[in-house]
This record gives sequence, C-alpha cells and structure tokens, in this order.
Amino acid sequence: MFNIQTHMDFQGQAKAEKLSRFIITLFGIVGFIWGAVIQQFFQTFIILCAGFSLATLVTVPPWPIYRRKPLNWQKPKPESGDDSKKKKK
Amino acid sequence: MHTVLTRGNAILAYSLSVLACLTFACFLSTVFLDYRTNAKLNSVKVLVKNVADYSASREKHDLGFITFDLHTDLTSLFNWNVKELFLYLTAEYQTENNELNQVVLWDKILLRGENAVLDFKNMNTKYYFWDDGNGLKGHKNVTLTLSWNIIPNAGLLPRIFAIGEHSFKFPDSYTVTPV
Repeated sequence: MFNIQTHMDFQGQAKAEKLSRFIITLFGIVGFIWGAVIQQFFQTFIILCAGFSLATLVTVPPWPIYRRKPLNWQKPKPESGDDSKKKKK
Repeated sequence: MHTVLTRGNAILAYSLSVLACLTFACFLSTVFLDYRTNAKLNSVKVLVKNVADYSASREKHDLGFITFDLHTDLTSLFNWNVKELFLYLTAEYQTENNELNQVVLWDKILLRGENAVLDFKNMNTKYYFWDDGNGLKGHKNVTLTLSWNIIPNAGLLPRIFAIGEHSFKFPDSYTVTPV
C-alpha cells in the first residue's frame, strides 16, 4: 500500500552533499556582499541562516531524486538443503 | 550522508564553518581602517583644592575640578564591525614624582545607531581628578586627550587617540570655598 522509502542511494548521497555545500556557500557569499553593502553583519547572518534552512529542506529529507540509481542487488538464491547447516549454527 | 541525522549534522557543521569564515572576512575588511578623527576640547572652569584623600592615605592631596567642552563627530567611525565605542577623556601631566600621570576624568559609551555628533558644553567630569601628591597647584601644562576603544563584532579591541588635544594651567592658589 504505502511504499515510503527512507534511504538515499550512493550517488544520491553525493548529490545531496554537493548541493547542500553549494547552497550554503552561495548564500554565504551573497549575504557577505549584501551585508558589506548595507554595513550590517546581522543581515549576512540572516541570509546564511536562510541558506541553511533551504539546504536543510532540499537535502535532508530523502527526496525521490536522490533515489534514481539504486544498486542492482543479486536476487537472493533459493536456499535448498542448507537449512540443516543453518540450524546447527 | 546516509541518514537524515548525518546529513543534518553535516549541513549544520558546514554552515557554522562558513559563518566563521564570513566573520573572519568581516574582520579583515575593517582591520586596516583608520579610526582616528578630530576632536575639539576646551577647558572652561579650572580649580584646584587641597583636601584629605580618605580613599588613600588620608593626607591632603591636590584635587582638580574642571569642566570641559567637547565637540566631535564620530559618525564616520561606525561600520559593520563596530558595535559600540567607549570614549574616555584623559588628563596627562608630569610631576616631580612621576614622569607621566594619567587620570581618566570622564567616559561615555556610544552605541551604534545613537547620535554620534557630540557637542558638550561645560560638562562636569565623572571621576575625581586626584593627584597622588601636591602636583596640581600651579601646574603649567596639563593635557586633555580624548580616546576611544572600539568594540567590534570580531577582531581587535584597538585604543584610538583622537586628533586634537587641549592643554591648560591650574591656578596658583587653592580654592577654599566649596565648589
């Protein structure tokens, strides 16, 4: 019924990390320039906080775009005759 | 980066690193600025008394009374790395006992956003002008200087001396009537 996925695949994780770094760096630079223009360091801080919030929203939840390249696991082999061994262990 | 918590942690840590870098950049953007500016000082009333200093030795020491005029415009000193200025007025003079005496007579905290054009007339000092002996009577060259301490968001706490000072003389006789 509900198939809620909570994981990211490996390339999704890499993408999420790159994206979050990019967003925070961009907001930091823009905030620094804006703060320097109006001479208010608090505005720099606020803009950086906005970048942090956006990065959190975009990259922390495991959105479907981070799940596009799942690993192709081998199908589990039907185990026959090994049951007795497993039980011994 | 494989769970929600590790991603949240990584983002928060990176944001704080960026904030530290920006703060340092803010410091770098203001560290080479020249924070000196002009201040016009003048002394109005100058008296000296000889009274017992009960806070120290109980002997009779010289106590100066002055009032001063101060005119200065500190608006240009404020930028995004200056939260407040601590202004203080210092009297400097030389006596036989000491090569250099420095007495802080008055101070003021000036926050950013307040009116930074100061124009005081006939201001009283906030602190006593005690000499540690009898060096004030008839002293020919006492120098008033204004200085300030810059309190920044990040960086150094420089002490800046204003351009412009004022020298005055103390009278040759003690005032005996109450001031």
